[in-house]
Amino acid sequence: MIRAARRASLWQAALLTLVFVASPLAVAAQTLTINAAGDALRVQARNFNFLEGPVLARLKEGRSVRVDFELTVLSKPEGATVKQAVQGFTVSFDLWEERFAVSRSGAPPRSISHLRANDAESWCLENLTMSISSLGIGRDTPFWLRLVYRVQDLAPVAEGPGDRYTLQALIDRLSRRREEADLAKSVSGGPFKLP
Amino acid sequence: MQANAQEADAPEGAVIDSVEMSGFSPYSLSPGLQKEFDSLVGAPLNRERLNQLVSRIEGEQPEMVAAVRSVARPDGKAHVVFLVARISDDTDLSENINARYLVESVELEGPSSEVSQQLRDDLQKLVGKRLDTEEADRLRNRLEKELPGRDVARRISKGSEAGRIRVVFEVFEQPWIPFVPTKSKLVYHSEQGWSGALDFPISTSRSRHRFTAGIVFNDIDELIEEYSGFHLAFESRKIGTDKLGVRFDFARFNETWEDATLSALAISPDIPEPYRNRLTFEPTVTFAFNPSVRFTGGLSLSDMESLSHAPDSTKANAWVAGITADHTWKTSDGDASQSFQASYGLRAAVDGLDSDLFYKRHLGQASYRYRQGHSEALGSISLGYISGQPPLFERFSLGNSTTLRGFDKYDIAPTGGERMFHSSIEYRFYHVGVFFDTGSVWDRNADAKIRYSTGFGVNTDNFFLLLGFPLNGDDATPIFMTGVRF
Repeated sequence: MIRAARRASLWQAALLTLVFVASPLAVAAQTLTINAAGDALRVQARNFNFLEGPVLARLKEGRSVRVDFELTVLSKPEGATVKQAVQGFTVSFDLWEERFAVSRSGAPPRSISHLRANDAESWCLENLTMSISSLGIGRDTPFWLRLVYRVQDLAPVAEGPGDRYTLQALIDRLSRRREEADLAKSVSGGPFKLP
Repeated sequence: MQANAQEADAPEGAVIDSVEMSGFSPYSLSPGLQKEFDSLVGAPLNRERLNQLVSRIEGEQPEMVAAVRSVARPDGKAHVVFLVARISDDTDLSENINARYLVESVELEGPSSEVSQQLRDDLQKLVGKRLDTEEADRLRNRLEKELPGRDVARRISKGSEAGRIRVVFEVFEQPWIPFVPTKSKLVYHSEQGWSGALDFPISTSRSRHRFTAGIVFNDIDELIEEYSGFHLAFESRKIGTDKLGVRFDFARFNETWEDATLSALAISPDIPEPYRNRLTFEPTVTFAFNPSVRFTGGLSLSDMESLSHAPDSTKANAWVAGITADHTWKTSDGDASQSFQASYGLRAAVDGLDSDLFYKRHLGQASYRYRQGHSEALGSISLGYISGQPPLFERFSLGNSTTLRGFDKYDIAPTGGERMFHSSIEYRFYHVGVFFDTGSVWDRNADAKIRYSTGFGVNTDNFFLLLGFPLNGDDATPIFMTGVRF
């Protein structure tokens, strides 16, 4: 019994050590900073990469990938949402130029090509903005941010407009297999004050 | 925009007498690039230099794409046109920047000999044009329809010269061991009511493994018992080799019983008592001899809490073994197909498994389907035999939304039976069909009464809406059935 308790406490100590060691690394690895351009609040995230792994492999096969970004202003860590901005992007990889191209969905549409991976990722964040005046918080009020990206399933489904609401389409959605590129990552930071 | 289009046939070295830029003002370029642009006039045509200029234009203007054409003049000189366009003005380019390139070739890789000539011709229609991603995806879907049991992926790669791409459709054999089909359904039977179950399979495409969490809201359609609860399953269809797979299924169900069943049980002391809940764990191993024939063996361990003497429980632990064969044939034009499936399963609760009930349950099934155009003919037969003392969930029953359609199973055999046979034939045209079912379920010391039913309705792979009529039942009331299975 004593031996079992000792073994348990050793495991707990090892686990705690691992958590303490890993936490600062994780925080250091992905940090958020903000800046303002006029009324637009922008966010920058270091090492918040998504053009890697299976996503990159998919792009290098000449397929495009849809990535949705979500920027949320919070009143406190994990607190109530003050405001949220969502923006979708379509990324492809120019096989001949060996550079990335990104298109921002919605109006007005905007596209850019000839970007390296880091530049393409940064361009997405530059185009994810939030109106400062709409936040309704004072210059001295601290707030927190959560930035999320989700790589959407881009399995080639050539559904016509008429297929979207069929029973088969509903069944396909309900029983859809998760694609390997169905990935998401999140990073939070704060407290921030409006610049 | 077609880069290096076929009309660009001015010979290399021809003197350039004029240069034009379409879609963009050359004065918006940097001074260095403007100078380079202006210096082309009077110089010999050098395609490498022109392509470098295109790259520099795109480098300076990353929101644009550019291409260059050179047209031969009658006097032997060359006219050069730079075509520049904003990416966001072109939907295809916005979706995939490679849509700017010409398709040089379309190839099929993998086992694809059955693909029809019509579809092969349609694939080749992509050649010589800019990549149309929507059309390419439609063709991929057509390939999957023509190649049942296989997955098709599309990729593109560089062509033999700049500005050209190869489109490759890769065909993959699906694994030899398929995942067990999900049991999601919402079914209504006018005599038995609603049944609903939802399975959530979690796996990646072409994955070896799958986890399924399933909720049974209520199921009175499948067994003689009415049950609700949940099940969790993990399956792996490739353990080192395509030939070996495993599955672990854990289920916990709460049972309720129809009055007809309880009344019949009260006068049938040989049948094991009903239970209030059932806990089942089934670990199995599957070995595939080839893509069509598979053997499965394992255990089924069930613990049933007595309905009248809780918390007393009864164990029904059995060895399970079964063999399944299935195959699909398609005609060369892809218009007709035949599929055949047959299986035999044995569940044997014998000494050595700590079982309270001892029995052997044999079930053989076969089905055949022929499809041509919008016509479809189906036939199936099932034979079942049980010896010993099986628990109620093992007993056979007929008269639900798939068997003896037109009868209510609680009118035929409210406690199920130890012997069973059933056959069905059906013809459908544009999913509207007629069927004829025959079957009987009975106990070892009773006579078999063969029942017939017929009906019509809409029946697709997932949805059905049917009206069934008993032809020799005590009650001639038709049965209405509808629902979805997926």
